[in-house]
Amino acid sequence: MSHIAVAVQATAAAAAPAGPSVVSLSGITKSFGPTLANAGIDLSVRAGDVIGLVGGNGAGKTTLMRILCGAMWPTLGSICFADEEVAFAGYDTGEAQRRGIRMVHQELSLCANLSVAENFFLETPADSASRPGWRALYRARARAALDAVFPGNGIDADAEVGHLTIAERQMVEIARAAATPGVKLIVLDEPTSSLDLDRSKQLRAFIRERAKAGLAFIFISHKLQEIIDIATEVVVLRNGRTAWQGHAADASIGKLVQLMGGDANPVHQHPVTAASSQDVLVRLSGPLTATLGRDIDIVRGEIVGLAGLEGSGQKELLHAIFSPDRNQHAGVSRRAEAGFIAGDRQKEGVFPLWSVLSNISIGALARRPAIGLVSDRANRDTAIGAASKLRLDDKRFQSNITDLSGGNQQKALVARAMVADTPVILLDDPTRGVDIATKQDFYRLCNEVARGGRALVWHTTEDAELLACDRVLVFSGGRIVKELAGEAITEQAIVGASFALSADGQARAASKRTAPARLGRKLVNAAPFIGLTAVLAIMIAINPAVASTFGLDLLLMPALSLVLVTAAQMFIVGGSEIDLGVGAFAGLVSVLSATLLYDQPWLGALALAAALAAYAGLGGVIQARKIPAIVVTLGASFIWVGIGYALQPTPGGASPEWLSTLFGWSIGFMPTSIFMIVAVALIVLVIDRLPLGVVLRGFGNNPAAMIRSGWSPTRYALVRYLIAGLFAGAAGLSLTAINTASDINSGNSYTLLSVAAVVMGGCSLLGGIISPVGAVAGAVTLSLIGALLGTLSVSSDYNAATQGLILIALLTLRSLTADRRSEP
Amino acid sequence: MNALATFGLWAQRNRWIWAAIGVLILWLVLSIVTSRFSLSSLSGVILSASFLTVVGIGQMFVLTTGRGNIDLSVASVITLSAFVALLTIKGQDANLAIGVVAAILLGLAVGALNSLLVVGLGIPAIIATLATGYVLATATLLSNKAIPGFAVSPSLKDLATGRIGGVPIMAVVAIVGVAVTSFVLRYTVFGQLLSAVGQNRAAARLAGIRNGRVIASAFIISSVLASLDGLLLGAYIGGAFLEMGQPYLLQSIAAVVLGGTLIFGGSATALGTLFASILLVLIVTTMQIIGLPPGAQDIVQGIVVIFVLALAGRQALARRAPADLADGDKGAATKTRADTATALPK
Repeated sequence: MSHIAVAVQATAAAAAPAGPSVVSLSGITKSFGPTLANAGIDLSVRAGDVIGLVGGNGAGKTTLMRILCGAMWPTLGSICFADEEVAFAGYDTGEAQRRGIRMVHQELSLCANLSVAENFFLETPADSASRPGWRALYRARARAALDAVFPGNGIDADAEVGHLTIAERQMVEIARAAATPGVKLIVLDEPTSSLDLDRSKQLRAFIRERAKAGLAFIFISHKLQEIIDIATEVVVLRNGRTAWQGHAADASIGKLVQLMGGDANPVHQHPVTAASSQDVLVRLSGPLTATLGRDIDIVRGEIVGLAGLEGSGQKELLHAIFSPDRNQHAGVSRRAEAGFIAGDRQKEGVFPLWSVLSNISIGALARRPAIGLVSDRANRDTAIGAASKLRLDDKRFQSNITDLSGGNQQKALVARAMVADTPVILLDDPTRGVDIATKQDFYRLCNEVARGGRALVWHTTEDAELLACDRVLVFSGGRIVKELAGEAITEQAIVGASFALSADGQARAASKRTAPARLGRKLVNAAPFIGLTAVLAIMIAINPAVASTFGLDLLLMPALSLVLVTAAQMFIVGGSEIDLGVGAFAGLVSVLSATLLYDQPWLGALALAAALAAYAGLGGVIQARKIPAIVVTLGASFIWVGIGYALQPTPGGASPEWLSTLFGWSIGFMPTSIFMIVAVALIVLVIDRLPLGVVLRGFGNNPAAMIRSGWSPTRYALVRYLIAGLFAGAAGLSLTAINTASDINSGNSYTLLSVAAVVMGGCSLLGGIISPVGAVAGAVTLSLIGALLGTLSVSSDYNAATQGLILIALLTLRSLTADRRSEP
Repeated sequence: MNALATFGLWAQRNRWIWAAIGVLILWLVLSIVTSRFSLSSLSGVILSASFLTVVGIGQMFVLTTGRGNIDLSVASVITLSAFVALLTIKGQDANLAIGVVAAILLGLAVGALNSLLVVGLGIPAIIATLATGYVLATATLLSNKAIPGFAVSPSLKDLATGRIGGVPIMAVVAIVGVAVTSFVLRYTVFGQLLSAVGQNRAAARLAGIRNGRVIASAFIISSVLASLDGLLLGAYIGGAFLEMGQPYLLQSIAAVVLGGTLIFGGSATALGTLFASILLVLIVTTMQIIGLPPGAQDIVQGIVVIFVLALAGRQALARRAPADLADGDKGAATKTRADTATALPK
């Protein structure tokens, strides 16, 4: 199998199972600039295999799995399905799924705004055929799948995924992958990290049973005991290469740890210095240390390690120490400035547009007054000192930071913290994806820095690194459960303490929302209805004639256009974009219908179709080129208005007779306008309930997950804008019919109003939510503001301000009642 | 060939050069084709471009803070400021100081409001500034009713329309402004902080930068510059009218993006904004010379913006893509582009 596997391989090959090959990768190499994430890896999976894939962070597991699942193309290498070679050029996530590969990702890939059943639909859409009751099919399938893997799970198939706990989401995701018809290989990336022991056992029992039936699994886990328990074969990756491949029976935890690179043990060179109480830099108290029963002081000159299972509160503590006020974390106080070294370099570390030097010196600049002057030479002089200690070559200072390897990037980040010269340094898994030589430099430097009188707080996911610390705080379920010092720091003690209270942690993870916040949110959600009722009540009180069929029609007919534009805007906002040209587009359609369509119906119809195609194409361009929708649609609004002016420089034209009839009929007992407004809301509701609507909402919430499930983002961007264009076009036609003439500027005011109405209606600007009834109520309310001001004899000058203030007030209320997202 | 490669590298760092080349080519073509174009007509173009540059610089600061931050209230600020100038100065040089102070206060107030909404309350900039613009629109309507007349202070008029040795004073003002901005961006701590916040907000926060302050400053700078621009623009056209600021909304964004400032934030060029402003005004002038109707001018402007964005969007993406993927760390599941795979040896 593997060309570079070591001698042990012979035993493995001898005992190879006889199942037919499912997929095999050979010679996979993937480079990111100078870094090799994968180097010549071979991997062969046969039916019934359970392959345990292990390796340290940055060993290349994730890259390899992404390549296997079509989410990434390798630089070199080939892939074969049942001995048929497939070209990577045509191999993507969709193709991987058609060939029966499913992956359960570590970062969850469910759409949180959809129900469990709808998420099942996203994975296997083919069976729905858009017929009524398609939800019932997926509901039943979700139920059956969940019960098959996790008996007694109690998860409601109609529950919104966002309301489930992390463990429940993980269970849904695993069950979804397992239930896919035609699946041959399931890749599980850290599936048990958020599951408790019972669920983990259920999962392993399920894997064993399905493997017997011929399903293959790749099981990635840091919990080596699980790997040895479940796997038939183990593959160890190290620095992008296969370090070992063999039978699970031949592996032991000790051996695997050694193969993964566990021998890079940091040496503890740093005896604890006696510290006086004046040297206390950070004090931890309150619920955090309740289990210990005493406060913890972190003093000058020591390295404090944070240990525990991933996500047990170590990161939270680091951030709380970094900004005690912001997190309002009870019981953390800091008495000196703190610097931060992030391990997730791309997300929290590097400034990708800058050189290495700028990336280092920002650490010092951030703490200077903003009007101070910057000198390259001074920056260089400061940076050289830090860089030389790290063995970071100053010849590379002018290179772009992204041209450096992960290890050197990390050195630059450490240098940044050193030039910042803060007494407290916080390290968030800093050696993630860093080679061994750099790690050794790094450990040496940490000792040196601590000896220099600073306090280091070090969170690491590699337990061996904790041996370099003076003290280790072990976390479980968000609390510090154990403090280890000196000789007591052993991997065994750390692991033992980590698992001590993990059951408690699961309970804590359950969602908690306070009653007042819920009430506030309900009030905000009801705002459009309250507003509409209030506006109508005031107007009827002042002028009872409003309550007649005729009066209502007179008042509400003009609202119809805004309602239609709002419907259009709602679909765009549902995709977390905003269209600043939608009003202008409605104006253009109005002009086209009152001029071309009136004079030459065929030419007019053609022009309308072309306009619609252009509008939908805009969505495709925005998606394909990843450019901000705001600016593109703002630019497009100039195009729409320009075309309108060119066709009709001054207001005029006439409404085609059939169009006027379309909007002018009457059924007597009920105002036509109300009937049509309700119809618009219903149409949006129906589209949203269709599978198509579910897919669009999915893209609004979690586009990455949608792409992984094999949906085309460009196609659905086109569809989204096409639907929006149809509604905006209908708005344009209604403008012509209602005004019996056209004016290119007639739609302009609708752009902001539609955004306001959508927001009032309860849609999130982050996307993924469609709420037709609320948005329509909001649109009607907003369009009545003018009439209301008129009834109250207030000048119409205040119209715009009133609308603007309503929008600001609503957004303010919403931002105050919503739980604040952790915006960095 | 080698020189071309060197230029390519240099141009990557100095993106303003493309707008400058555009100005040069268009001007040469116009001079040759129409024979009506000369240095003096160019100075007229530059005069109009100066007003665009000033508001563009402000917009540039906001765009550079990244995360889709944008200031859509500039148009309303320009209009309102012109009206406020008429109200406070009343055509008297003696009131000029009051007028300038009023304009600055107006800018500060609007900038502070925008910052409060965006930074304090976390409302997306696009909505917050759009809403602010609506409130300002009403204020404009009210001041429109209150203005005593369309008299403009003579000194202000001189500043906005005068020339020294054929060079418009406004152009000098704009160029000095661009020089100061370039200095601030390149050689002050604030410039570096702005770029850092725009590139990677999480990293900026962890490096110890107070993001909120930097972003708020950008919004305040934008509003103050727009307000001063409105004051001068009012003097230039000799009064004020409703919607007079409207064209500057798209044009200011277009000038910034066309000039080479990254729409995703983190990298700004004031010189580019200057050249792009001139280029945009030249394009409009060209269309007027050709005799295109006003509608067609709008269309061309819209197309230029979308086209430039479609080109620039990819460039910025190519720069960031390796950063997202390096190490194979768990980042966004970005699909690597097809070129990577086709680069395999055959």
